[in-house]
Amino acid sequence: MPDARWRKVLRDVWEHKARTLLVILAMMVGLAGAGTILDAWALVQRATEEGYLSSDPVAATLRTDIVDSALLATVRTVPGVRDAQARRTVIARALVGGAWRAAWLFTADDLAGRRIGKLRGEAGAWPPPAGAFVIERSSVSYAGTGVGDSVTLNFGAGELRSIPVAGIARDVSLAPGWMEHVVYGFATPATLASLGVNATLTDVVLVVDEAHPSQASVRRIAFAVKAAIEATGHPVHDVDVPVPGEHIHAAQMNSLLYTQGAFGLLALVVCGFLVVNLMAAMLAGQVREIGVMKTLGASGGQLAAMYLALAAGLGLVASLGAIPVAAVAGRAYAGVKADLLNFDVTGYAIPAWVILLQVLVGMAVPVIAAALPVRQAARMSVASALRDVGISPDGRDTGEPWLARRGGVSRAILFSVRNAFRRRQRMALTLLAIATGGAVYLGARNLRVAVRGSLDLVFASQQYDVSLRLATPQTPDSTESIVRGVAGVQGAEGWGAARANAPHADSTVGNIFSIAAPPLGSRLFVATPTAGRWLVASDTNALVVTRSLQLQEPSLQVGTTVDLTIGGRTGPWEVVGLIDGGPAPTAWTTRDVLARRTGNARISSVMVATGPGGLATQVDLIQRARSALDAAGMPVGSSQLLSENRRVMEDHLLMVVDFLGVMAWVMITVGGMGLASTMGLAVLERTREIGVLRAIGANHGAILTMIEVEGLVVALLGWLVALPLSIPMSVALGEAFGRVMFRVPLILVPEASGVWRWLVVVVAVSVVACAWPALRATRGTIARALAYE
Amino acid sequence: MGQIDSMPEALIRFRDVSKTYPIAGVPFTALGGVTLDIAAGEFVVVVGESGSGKSTLLALLAGIDRPSQGEVHVGDVALHAISERELSAWRGRSIGIVFQFFQLLPTLTACENVMLPMDFCGTYAARERRPRALALLDRLGVADQANKLPSRLSGGQQQRVAVARALANNPAVLLADEPTGNLDSKTSQSLLELLASLSNEGHTIVMVTHDRAAMQFASRTIALADGRVVSGAEGLHA
Repeated sequence: MPDARWRKVLRDVWEHKARTLLVILAMMVGLAGAGTILDAWALVQRATEEGYLSSDPVAATLRTDIVDSALLATVRTVPGVRDAQARRTVIARALVGGAWRAAWLFTADDLAGRRIGKLRGEAGAWPPPAGAFVIERSSVSYAGTGVGDSVTLNFGAGELRSIPVAGIARDVSLAPGWMEHVVYGFATPATLASLGVNATLTDVVLVVDEAHPSQASVRRIAFAVKAAIEATGHPVHDVDVPVPGEHIHAAQMNSLLYTQGAFGLLALVVCGFLVVNLMAAMLAGQVREIGVMKTLGASGGQLAAMYLALAAGLGLVASLGAIPVAAVAGRAYAGVKADLLNFDVTGYAIPAWVILLQVLVGMAVPVIAAALPVRQAARMSVASALRDVGISPDGRDTGEPWLARRGGVSRAILFSVRNAFRRRQRMALTLLAIATGGAVYLGARNLRVAVRGSLDLVFASQQYDVSLRLATPQTPDSTESIVRGVAGVQGAEGWGAARANAPHADSTVGNIFSIAAPPLGSRLFVATPTAGRWLVASDTNALVVTRSLQLQEPSLQVGTTVDLTIGGRTGPWEVVGLIDGGPAPTAWTTRDVLARRTGNARISSVMVATGPGGLATQVDLIQRARSALDAAGMPVGSSQLLSENRRVMEDHLLMVVDFLGVMAWVMITVGGMGLASTMGLAVLERTREIGVLRAIGANHGAILTMIEVEGLVVALLGWLVALPLSIPMSVALGEAFGRVMFRVPLILVPEASGVWRWLVVVVAVSVVACAWPALRATRGTIARALAYE
Repeated sequence: MGQIDSMPEALIRFRDVSKTYPIAGVPFTALGGVTLDIAAGEFVVVVGESGSGKSTLLALLAGIDRPSQGEVHVGDVALHAISERELSAWRGRSIGIVFQFFQLLPTLTACENVMLPMDFCGTYAARERRPRALALLDRLGVADQANKLPSRLSGGQQQRVAVARALANNPAVLLADEPTGNLDSKTSQSLLELLASLSNEGHTIVMVTHDRAAMQFASRTIALADGRVVSGAEGLHA
């Protein structure tokens, strides 16, 4: 049988079971929120190791003219290379839902035996049979097709081909097709050749000996391979070295999980406020008991242990309740994350250390939160404890004389407002809990506006509606002239393009990026640099870079001159400006400058402004422009609608914003429970006072209104405090988003509609949270209420 | 009994003890220059009007308050000089307190209330605590109420449980603050008889009261007025 003191602890909890339960529930919500993120993170980590890394992902890709077995044998002899294989990626277009979408077809001699970036057949035929192709699983829903259907493909210059889908396979190294708006597929070289497509294998993919290599060490090996390939007489067009062992979306997903995890911790801190309130209220009601226990020989440490054990017990119960909820939600969330990473969550068992961590955190948060009030109570002298007059109010100024001076404010409202200020520390913590949720809510809305604003900014510079990528480079004047002759075209510009990379000090080079080259004074691309300037006629080697490129290549600072390698020629370029150009790393120069520097005055694409008209009009115009160019012997390789580009980007970006916004709702829920708990305590403490009110004529409606108004005062103050608090929250969310996706401008003024929506939310939360305490206040007989001590 | 075994002449010694409280920023002397001795086994009743300093004297004696000036000794322990932690441990083992409003912990049964001091001080082995608590309750005539919560007991029963709790660690000194203040005359009489019998068994009892009838049970009555001893300061060994 436990000591009498531990029985006291248990019975005190039972005595205040309703409010204790509420605090446990609030903690459960916070713990479940944080636990969901932790569980999802742990599951995705394991899925990454078991799903992604077990596919033996590509360490580096080198593009050359032709890869044969002799070349592969040479590559395999380079020190550090564990294995090498050949493949090719063919860019085509697929007819999806009546519109042409990007399609990437991967080919290799033995797709089923691919050792690097292993593939797995999931349905139908595998490997792809002759004359058919196998679609990648993440593209199935986007392509709206399945095994046994056919997909119409266009390989640029050739005629349209309807190809049967023979099976479904999974390539875990790809970003999901539904997300990228790309139809991925696999076909044999023979099948592609039969379709009139050049199926020569041109890419060397390799893996390295080192188990956990750095990007720099892989890059060194890749450049040794490059040298070996070039020594055999084959040119190497570019070398691509991704971050080793990291999925293409892994950095974003990890950043997102870390950010959400940080907000999960914030939710736990808010839960801590509620524990402080509960413990402070419990201790305030037990000051005399504490005094008595001290006279019976209890030391401060013994008393502190009793109450801290109670706090730990609350945390343990909340943890035990939250863990299964977090496990279910975490598994679901991990499934979503894995879907975004294009691999399956391979195991659903949550690691033991993750469960243990949740229990420890669940117990530690209330203990830490309760530490201060418990310390104060335990250190209180016996004399002052025994002199304590109980839980009646201290009669301090309520701080609302201005309200009293205003006419037309009813006595009942004044009473409710004053009541809200009677327990100031408790009110402050409750208010802070609500305000924190509101700040995250407003911050997430600000972020949404900022992201849309950023996209507006990015796309504002792009004044065209359609881009046509030419199958082969053409002269600008003739191409522009043909496109301008198409009915409905309001403007057309031929743009040059090049692929470049920057040599690094360690004699390797950076990853390839694109250089876009519109004509000087382009009317279809009008950018506003955030630093430096845009391109002018006197430029000879000027370059404007996007912020994304600057992140990839930090040496490209405005005002510096850097060497870039374009088409095998390395030369100096002066970085004159910086623009916010979206997530794609790109540099800009003028068509003439690029022509002079590369010796190639031909253009690779035509940008077209179509003017007013819907999607159908634009698609029709594309068809006519393609026909006109085809007729002139200038076939179009692919076409893209700017609106489609924007939609893809929005899908990526706003999904991240929505995930961050989920944490706001978790915190608002915790805040609401905090308010319910606070009002429950207030009603309990004022039982006798409410009895007096009822005795002098206050009916149920008046009591209900009084409690609801009191809660509303706290909630509205929470609403108000959330407004300035949303500024640092917006900054934090913007920073987090910048790490996850791309930099967005800070919005320091809460978005107006968000402010009013937050008001509606907070009022609704207040009404719901105060309903039960208000009903409780009207229960029981007046005599019993008056006798309450 | 108790831990105050080696007593000098007097078990309890007050030497020029004063206690001053600030009230609304103005110092108020609750007790001024009190010197008195109480011998072991005495049953001392402290009387006086409200505000005379009775409860302050008791609080200083219980070590729940500290003198502003002077010295308070109980046995060989200088209460004015030891730390709060030491006071706490000393109090649990050496002093039993009976309050006017009983101050039983409402969520513990009568028996558990009596066991609580033993739990805190570890004076008895865990298996001995319940039998001892039941024995004390039996002695005080409330054994049949052992498993009831205080709210189910009458005032007299609660006060008997409070006395049993005060005796739990077998303290040398029993302090009672208006123990009959909330009891009817018959129950008061019974309680006073009980305290007298405890005194006869060797417990030193100091009782603060307004109840003149209590004086007939006391071996000595100390009268206080305006914070000063007006009579009865000289005890058996003074």
